[in-house]
Amino acid sequence: MRRGVGWNIVLGGVVLFFVLIITLPFWWVMSGSFKLPQEIIARVPTMIPQSFTLQHYVKLLSSSDYPTYMINSLVVASVSTLITLALSVPAAYAFFRLRFPGREALYRMILLAYAFPSIVVLIPLFGMFAKLGLVDTRTALVVINVSFALPFAIWMLRSFFGSVPMEIEEAAVMDGAPPLVILRRVMIPLIAPGIASVGIFAFIMSWTEYVFASVLILSDAKRTVPVGFSGIIGQYQIDWGLLLAGASLATLPVILLFALIGRWFVSGLTEGAVK
Amino acid sequence: MADIQLSALQKTFGPVEVIRSIDLKIKSGEFIVFVGPSGCGKSTLLRMIAGLENVTAGTVSIDGADVTRAEPSKRGIAMVFQTYALYPHMSVEENMAFGLEMAGMPKQQRLEAVRKAAETLQLVPYLDRKPKALSGGQRQRVAIGRAIVRDPKIFLFDEPLSNLDAELRVQMRLEIAKLHNELGATMIYVTHDQVEAMTLATRIVVLRDGRIEQYGTPDELYSDPDNMFVAGFIGSPKINLVPARVSGRSEQGALLLDVPELGLSGLAVMPRSPEADVPQDLILGIRPEHFHAGPGEHTVELKCSIIERLGGVSYVYTDPGRDNAVTMELRGATPVRAGDTVSASIDPGDCFLFTQDGVRL
Repeated sequence: MRRGVGWNIVLGGVVLFFVLIITLPFWWVMSGSFKLPQEIIARVPTMIPQSFTLQHYVKLLSSSDYPTYMINSLVVASVSTLITLALSVPAAYAFFRLRFPGREALYRMILLAYAFPSIVVLIPLFGMFAKLGLVDTRTALVVINVSFALPFAIWMLRSFFGSVPMEIEEAAVMDGAPPLVILRRVMIPLIAPGIASVGIFAFIMSWTEYVFASVLILSDAKRTVPVGFSGIIGQYQIDWGLLLAGASLATLPVILLFALIGRWFVSGLTEGAVK
Repeated sequence: MADIQLSALQKTFGPVEVIRSIDLKIKSGEFIVFVGPSGCGKSTLLRMIAGLENVTAGTVSIDGADVTRAEPSKRGIAMVFQTYALYPHMSVEENMAFGLEMAGMPKQQRLEAVRKAAETLQLVPYLDRKPKALSGGQRQRVAIGRAIVRDPKIFLFDEPLSNLDAELRVQMRLEIAKLHNELGATMIYVTHDQVEAMTLATRIVVLRDGRIEQYGTPDELYSDPDNMFVAGFIGSPKINLVPARVSGRSEQGALLLDVPELGLSGLAVMPRSPEADVPQDLILGIRPEHFHAGPGEHTVELKCSIIERLGGVSYVYTDPGRDNAVTMELRGATPVRAGDTVSASIDPGDCFLFTQDGVRL
């Protein structure tokens, strides 16, 4: 298809517009975290930093509980992600492969988990966790995060399983592979992009979860970044430098995760399998 | 080497009967081709033998043992799929060795077996490659290699060549025929391409609507079809089917026919069973290749509306818009042009007679 120069400029303009909308706030946060306090609150904002300092990072890491929050968040998000994957892959495979009565109804029902705002289930869940002695534990957060990530993860992975040609699975059956071997050796490598997406989804969901973490965690030493971090905003004053440095650091694990898993998002993974 | 016996085999998907009580005996070492139009159940039947499809009723036996409910991998069968179905994330070597690994063969032995199969199929230079780095023909050879490496008693092929281009198809067809000669294993091959069926098969099963229409050698199917469907399915271009009317019987029992489409009267055709009751209106079948250029005892004059020249032969078509258009094959170069009237003769011995319902007389 041939396009005129004018049309290309319009398309480029639209792309640029969205790129700016997404990256400008991010740039503001990142660059601000290296600015001197006076520059951050300057009447005329500077898009290109005029000053450079690491003082906010030094303060954040040495005289606040931020490192503890970070470790808590990392532990909670990583464990939640791993458990979500460990449960959603076999569950999605079962929904995809096994024929059992009520399969479709059950499959649709699991998404009902998202029908309720988290605030609605907060009180009953708190009650349950209190009975189980799980209040003020990171385990509680893991349980919450997994149960909220799981329905979507299963739902998404099932369609990834569905994209694997049936003949590949049948070839493995003819080769004498038992179901779990087929899942591990044949299906999982083929849905790696799906697993990567679900992993990132589960991680980000846990990483940014605020409502439950703010209620279920009582002691400062067990707070995660979103909750612990909100403490930095004081009642009478806000240390903007500290806030921006903390926000910048908080994005780091997610960016690293994308960089690490990004290579799994290769298109045409099943290329060459069939036709 | 293995005999296969299907007894009263049935398959239904909900209310739809896909396979209707099929009985079939396949002798060890035979090359059987299931052929038929799409939706006739040939792939389903193959998959039932493989164990990939549950059997509704009836039994599948291999070497006398009932394997109807046995796991596919326990049947001594290997299958080559239409879409190759290679494991895309594994190298050619891993693809071929996977089945052996599942069977618990030690690694060294596995590699030797793969190497041997790769040599047979000229795949040695590609052992380290992933399927996506192979051409269609090479992929199909890997799929075949994955089957032969397991040394199965029975090979099943589900339209293995339909994804290949015409030239490669001919080449792979020969390779499969060669493989059958070398291995001597029982092979069952599904195709809708009657040329593949005729060239590869020791015996052909023609299927329609889940039933066997005829089971026989390619020659039998071609020269002695049981019904109009088989006559129409085997042979290319398709057999000519034109209405004929019985005007009497000769002393030898031959039916005397008037065939207005061909401008013939008193054509004496011997029915297959001379005692059979014969209705007045019949259908006469004559293959395009059974027209002989030039006049003879039974001369046909046809107006050529289109001519296709293939070099060695030419096909003359009369008005292709009509139901009973006639196709005629002329050998060698011919000066005939569209609009010309062509005269050719036929031999009554080459003609088949069918009732209106398609039953052979």
